[in-house]
Amino acid sequence: MTDWLGMTPNPRDPRPELRARVLGRAVRPSRRGRWVWRAAAAALVLGIAGGGAYWARGTIAALSADRDRLAAELAAVRDTLGFVRGPATRVAWVPVTTNGRLGGVTIFADSANRRWLVRCEGMAPNEPGETYQIWFVTEGGMKRAALMTMDPGESTVMAMAFAVPEDVGPVVGAAMSIEPRAGSSVEPRGPMVFHLRL
Amino acid sequence: MTQPKRLSQEDERTLVRRLKARDEGALAELYDALAPWVLGLASRILQDDAEAEEVLSDVFVQVWGRIHQHEPARGPLVPWVLSIARNRALDSLRRRRRWWRKAERWGATVRLEDDGTVPTPDPAEAAVPGWPVHQEVHAALAALPVDQRRVVLLAYFEGLTHSEIARRTGQPLGTVKTRLRIAHGKLTEALRHVKDWLR
Repeated sequence: MTDWLGMTPNPRDPRPELRARVLGRAVRPSRRGRWVWRAAAAALVLGIAGGGAYWARGTIAALSADRDRLAAELAAVRDTLGFVRGPATRVAWVPVTTNGRLGGVTIFADSANRRWLVRCEGMAPNEPGETYQIWFVTEGGMKRAALMTMDPGESTVMAMAFAVPEDVGPVVGAAMSIEPRAGSSVEPRGPMVFHLRL
Repeated sequence: MTQPKRLSQEDERTLVRRLKARDEGALAELYDALAPWVLGLASRILQDDAEAEEVLSDVFVQVWGRIHQHEPARGPLVPWVLSIARNRALDSLRRRRRWWRKAERWGATVRLEDDGTVPTPDPAEAAVPGWPVHQEVHAALAALPVDQRRVVLLAYFEGLTHSEIARRTGQPLGTVKTRLRIAHGKLTEALRHVKDWLR
């Protein structure tokens, strides 16, 4: 029972004025405790405000990204519609057979703005190391227009818009050939997929 | 001289219940009964009046704030309060940066008690509540052989570890442990009947 050893020293009467001070300090809520609570409350408020601000910032950033994406998509749709509806736009559709598969190529050619929109569907994927190459047919021969590579496993529908360069001159038709993956720089060398006059 | 009156265990339970019910009057009663002992214990450990009064204040703040932690089943209220006082005083002692300088100053006192001498009860204090327990504790300590009493006092009042006591006394660690174990058993036996707080 060593707990009782605390009574070994002789008792000492505290100074009388200590009594009120000690009892007063004991029963009143501690100043430190109040500060702890205040600090905790302030930290909580700051935490909530900070969390709210962080959430709002993240939400605003996500919504801004969505808005930008939708705006870009809308602009693309508007551009495509403007392209299709343009008074100088001619449309040509040509059936093609690639590797035994029947597909088609649709060409929207805007001669006023010198822009083309080419849409391919149902075409066979390219062999490894090969690509489809589109050509402008001009009075001066064929000029390279664009490469449209169709890899296995990808969608069989592909669309591409591109400009007709000024140095190409008047375009009278379109053609597509199968070329090495890097494309042919001067004239078609591989098998022709189609050749048509617009 | 006022004859000490016995506060039964039932009275003590009532006091604890009142304290738990936030009865400030009960705290004042406890202060009146225990403050001299708490201050005496703190002074004995710290040898500094100002610090001892600080401990006295801290002890009653802690008692008031943590009375719900006191479990009567684990022991009476008074030793619980005194253990708080001892721990507070030892904490203060350990924190004190000028411990070693102080040690020089109270070396004479310590050395006296290092020899196992228990301070003689002051007859003028006989009217203080709890005096009979004080005398019984003294008697139990006095009944211990000097070597055992010495290690008990070093452990209790200076908070020294077994190794520190061994270094201080120049005794092997195993001897210190054995003496403490035997002394603890004797004190437990001698004070087993002390259950009521006396006033």
